[in-house]
Amino acid sequence: MNNKNFLPPLVCGFGAAVITTVPGVKSLGCCLIVPLAAILSLYLDHKINKTELPFRAKNAMILGLLTGIFAAVFASSFDILMTYIFHSNDFVQTLPQTEALVRHYKLGLLLNQTMGMMKQMSSDIQQTGFSLFYTVGIFFSNFIVNAIFGTLGGLLGITFINKRVQK
Amino acid sequence: MVPENKRNFLRLGIFFLLTVWCFGFSFESLFPGSSLAAVSYPILKHAYGEVCHQIPAKTFLIGGKKLLVCARCTGIYLGALTISLLSLFFFKKLKLEVKLLYVSITPILIDVIFSSFNIYKYSKIIAFGTGLFFGSIVFVYILATIENIFIEKKFSE
Repeated sequence: MNNKNFLPPLVCGFGAAVITTVPGVKSLGCCLIVPLAAILSLYLDHKINKTELPFRAKNAMILGLLTGIFAAVFASSFDILMTYIFHSNDFVQTLPQTEALVRHYKLGLLLNQTMGMMKQMSSDIQQTGFSLFYTVGIFFSNFIVNAIFGTLGGLLGITFINKRVQK
Repeated sequence: MVPENKRNFLRLGIFFLLTVWCFGFSFESLFPGSSLAAVSYPILKHAYGEVCHQIPAKTFLIGGKKLLVCARCTGIYLGALTISLLSLFFFKKLKLEVKLLYVSITPILIDVIFSSFNIYKYSKIIAFGTGLFFGSIVFVYILATIENIFIEKKFSE
């Protein structure tokens, strides 16, 4: 893979990350944003790199996966940057509701440990704008979820793109 | 392993993964009061938040607890799970026209546009229904592609 091969997933991953970060816009696309970005990435790859059709499934999966990974990197970076600037985020804002809900279970020590960790994260964010636990957690979950959805988008994209060959 | 067995094994694996995914977003509703549900709630909420807006007004309440994904996403995942289960017993050969994929996404697009521009009020049932239809159809395409990669190609080589 040369640098040109990385361009479509990079651009589409960035676009998906922007859309998932903008409040309100996410509600329109929901779980389809990353798969749609992966499909677009396949299409752009075909246009820019003149990839021969029909698309090979392996290549489509790799492009989808890369789109998901780039989306995860950018989305996590945006989240961390915004958290650093505003010293707040969704996690901090919804922590009281989460705590109320979890306290309902009366779990004793287990609950205290869990809530203690979460409160520490919230306190770090409010004071310094950064929490290592939060950063690691957000990168980890973004990577897994977006990689899966990107790969699925790549697989689905083959159906759309290869249809052009049959035409 | 013969192709038929390999196909069934693959479909069983996909069904298992989808079941785990669906259990994840409905864990708190299915096992209210369990300590595991309480402890895993913040983690699962954040993980599913990556793929869904989780707006409370657009989310189903089951047993007094909100699911971790919206009504449309619930429909998509349950549609995929249902077809995944059915694929274990039926649909031995998967071949679909791409037109059906366009048809399946049309109701979602219409619903999103109409409810966003207040042509009609957002309905969880409609969102769930459009998601269910889309999820069922799209899963068949994805399954067909996966089978094509892991089974058909290897045996044709």
